Amino acid sequence: MKRRTFLTAAGAAMVGMQFPIRLASAQEKVIRFAMPQDFTRVYTFVTVEYSQGQRDYISMVNAKGGVNGYQILADVTDHANDLPRALEAYERAKAQGALLVDPLSTPVARALVPRATADKINLITAFSGRSDAADGETFPFVFPMSPNYWTQAGLLIDFFRQQDGDLKGKKICFVHIDTPFGKEPIPVLEALAAKQGFTVQAFPYTPPGNDQSAIWPQVRRAKPDWVVFWGAGVGQTVALTEAIRNGIPMNRVSSSVWLSESDMDVVGRAQAAGVIKLEPCASGRSPKLIQDIIKTVIEPGKGAGDKAKVGTAYYNYGVMMAALMVEGVRKAFEKAPNGPIDGPWLNAGLTSISNFEAEGLIPPTTVTTTDHQGGGRCRIARWDGAKFAPATDWFSANQDVVWAEIKKSTDAFKASGK
Amino acid sequence: MDSALLLELSINGACTGMMYALVAAGIVLIYKTSGVANLAQGALAMTGAYVAWIASTLVGLPMWIGAPLAALVMFGVGALIERLAMRRMIGQPLIMAIMLTMGLEIMLRGVMPGLLGGTVKKIDIGIPNAPIIAGDILINRTLLIGGGVSFAMIVASILFFNSRLGVVMRAVSDDQTASWSVGIRVERAIAVAWGLSAVMATTAGLLWGATQGVDWSLSLLLVKALAIAILGGLDSLPGVLIAGVAVGVIESLATGIIDPVIGGGSREVVASAIILATLLVRPHGLLGREHIERV
Amino acid sequence: MFYRRAGIRHTSYRSERRLWPLPFDRGLVAAVVVLLLVAPLVVERLYLIGYLMPWIIWSTAALGLNFLMGGAGQIHLGYGAIIAIGAYASTHLARAGVPFEIAALGGGLASAVIGSAFGATALRVKGLYLAMATLAMQSVVDFLITHVPWISGGGQATLTVPPARFLGADLRVDLAAYYVALSVCAVVTLFVLNVGRSSFGRALAAVREKDYAAAVIGVDPFRYKLLAFWVSSFIGGVAGAVLAFCYYRAISPDQFHLDLSIQLVAMVIVGGLGSVLGPFFGAALILFAPILLNQAVGALAAAFGLGISADLRAHLPLVLYGALIMGFLLAEPLGLAKIYDNVRKYFLVWPFRHAPR
Repeated sequence: MKRRTFLTAAGAAMVGMQFPIRLASAQEKVIRFAMPQDFTRVYTFVTVEYSQGQRDYISMVNAKGGVNGYQILADVTDHANDLPRALEAYERAKAQGALLVDPLSTPVARALVPRATADKINLITAFSGRSDAADGETFPFVFPMSPNYWTQAGLLIDFFRQQDGDLKGKKICFVHIDTPFGKEPIPVLEALAAKQGFTVQAFPYTPPGNDQSAIWPQVRRAKPDWVVFWGAGVGQTVALTEAIRNGIPMNRVSSSVWLSESDMDVVGRAQAAGVIKLEPCASGRSPKLIQDIIKTVIEPGKGAGDKAKVGTAYYNYGVMMAALMVEGVRKAFEKAPNGPIDGPWLNAGLTSISNFEAEGLIPPTTVTTTDHQGGGRCRIARWDGAKFAPATDWFSANQDVVWAEIKKSTDAFKASGK
Repeated sequence: MDSALLLELSINGACTGMMYALVAAGIVLIYKTSGVANLAQGALAMTGAYVAWIASTLVGLPMWIGAPLAALVMFGVGALIERLAMRRMIGQPLIMAIMLTMGLEIMLRGVMPGLLGGTVKKIDIGIPNAPIIAGDILINRTLLIGGGVSFAMIVASILFFNSRLGVVMRAVSDDQTASWSVGIRVERAIAVAWGLSAVMATTAGLLWGATQGVDWSLSLLLVKALAIAILGGLDSLPGVLIAGVAVGVIESLATGIIDPVIGGGSREVVASAIILATLLVRPHGLLGREHIERV
Repeated sequence: MFYRRAGIRHTSYRSERRLWPLPFDRGLVAAVVVLLLVAPLVVERLYLIGYLMPWIIWSTAALGLNFLMGGAGQIHLGYGAIIAIGAYASTHLARAGVPFEIAALGGGLASAVIGSAFGATALRVKGLYLAMATLAMQSVVDFLITHVPWISGGGQATLTVPPARFLGADLRVDLAAYYVALSVCAVVTLFVLNVGRSSFGRALAAVREKDYAAAVIGVDPFRYKLLAFWVSSFIGGVAGAVLAFCYYRAISPDQFHLDLSIQLVAMVIVGGLGSVLGPFFGAALILFAPILLNQAVGALAAAFGLGISADLRAHLPLVLYGALIMGFLLAEPLGLAKIYDNVRKYFLVWPFRHAPR
């Protein structure tokens, strides 16, 4: 009997689930953002905080009356980095009339590019997806709106140059996860090496990177002037731990935007002091925008998650991206107040974001129809044992090399006949 | 090629391999008694590490109490899995029982991160990061201690098979029906195997978690552990020890010697090729028992 | 009830050996086929692209894997790599100007050649050791695809599938893509259904049950295992081509990793090893349970005012999904197809509990 009860229950549950699908918002004044993200697989390390930041910012905008009387609806689901699930979520978003999709996953973003372009839905690929999507002419509906990995590599190299005066004859070790994402910066690093006279030595480690004990003794023996490690999630903490164990001076070790406070907790806050990361936006709770969120959303108890996470690096990335999206909506209303509210309408708004600073949270960002990267500005921050302290102001560098790489890549994309 | 580097890589590799072998030993333990390859071993390691994190960070116990406590709890969890799920699959096709452990793996991967949050957790087992320096060679203290603990646990489990309960389990692994007929409680022996293997998983989870932090990615230990268990011979604990060290050293050396030449992470491929080649020569793994088939 | 057997008299061997001797079974199959045929005209795009397409393509692939695992008893943990070879080979062929009809067959051939070459080496070992050997194949193919830019399509490692036509129909139109996927699936299903009744299928069954015994009665186990590898890899390769052209339209290496292999093995086993119906049920469960559970948990959380944390909200579907797989296996250890079979048998002899025989 038990067996039959289970089967009946499972069957009934399966059928029952089909019903709530299309009950979503009728024709109220709502702008729908779809945020299918990876909460349970590869991107777990960032998604919880990133999504929390996005939702808190959108709650704040809505609490203040929305944009032009329109409420913003953030539809958050889990795609677990699995393509069929992501495609289902994308099709659902499209059917429900979402204006943009933010999948926060490189494989998903890459797979969605042809569909989003054909369907004229804005695809946000912050810190993920194709780096060459910065070229708005080739990818009109794909918006990184954040410094891509080529820019990030270029900025790090420029920071090394600022520190050492000249990089001629220096040696830079690049420790990276052995995936297309990890190998991405290599062409830019090599181009800069040829230009500025330093040498790059690449050390790939196998994904997911929980065991790098064979890599770092080699890095140590190479006696590098600077070390850049490139990975995400568990690979980052292990890389940093191994660097400490091999006695590599922390103030010569750097990484991309993928380092957070919880990584530092795992490595040991004091031990990691000195390590360098890139900040696409300010971290901590001091920026005015974060203070506003705390006042209007967190303190009344309407926050989307753990209060302790407010103001962490990845939380602020979420706020940054949500702020850019909402700014796009604002601009779209300025350009065409009466709509029709659809993908191309928001596209026009997003491409007219100019010198947007999110009240000091992010560098001045200008998105145009040609540049979807937003200018490629970042700042360098050092972990001081308790927080990431900015070491430079917002700056941009080596964009010529980056754009040469972008053009090379988009040319290949166009040649492949779409 | 620098011989000091090779020596250093070999030592690191041997220790890492031993830590993988600890996860693999849990798989072997269950396979030996019940013939099921446990695909939830990695998820068990993850769960064990989370339990230890609860004991040490949430409750605030010192690690020398927290870790054994976690092991004890996990022994119960392992035995419970056998009682509630695996026992009902006795007499059913083996592949279905293996599939059941995969369902378990998916479920376990959700339980702890769901309750405690998906962000990575720090677990401190009190091993300093400062390496041991011997001339030009730098030995990683965490790896050395981790490898040592793993070695000790695997040897202990080999010795355990000489105790009374161990002899019972050997009888079960030889022939379940025959053991039954001489009055051995087969289910209890299998439950003990599950419990012990959960304890091993917890230890492995702690050792790995100390380096990489505790989150879902600990469950990925399964793939490497399965490879080592199969290379060693699925029913041989000494085989696991040898295979672990061999795979660890080979991978480590491949990283040092081949990677710079071909410019890619070749360790996985080299390890796979070696496992494949070994299986072609010895179809039951290095020390696995040859299964006598009757027509 | 329903499956009425009374009054059916077979007057020729032909009629008794039909695929579906019972009229109700025939009617059911016809109804399902008609439903699938008219589906694109009736259901919304979301359900066509989000559900029906992946279900059909994954079922095709699972049928191919089931041919090997259920038909010949050989475990394969590298089927994702087989599909990858088919997808990449056909895409590269199409980029070189070969029409889709031939490119898809070319993808199948490439998979079959490489897959059975691996099979030939791996067939020395059995059972879980074979699983390991095929796993090695997966990691070698993964490595090659990721590390040879010529295959993966350059630094971004994404290969856009060129526009293609099948018998004149543009595959970028979802309707055409759906019907192509459906017809490939139908061909594979018919093939698998019929193989079971041929001497080839019976030889495979002999090898599956006991290869030594098969050798004794004059069936060469190695030859038939290799043939099974060949056929199954060919199906996988064609499924890969369909996956690339009709569904993904841009392929990258991480779509074909070990995760896909494990997913397919799970579909075959949970669905029911060796059954033709099984892969369809298995694919539906493994593909859609996570999606539907997510929506259900989301709807419940919204209905009860977000009473649970975001972490629990994200992971609860995973727990339920695992529990569902365990529950189905504990309820019926022979898989989902066996559950259907139980229901069918129940009605076959209704109102009696069992057939009087």
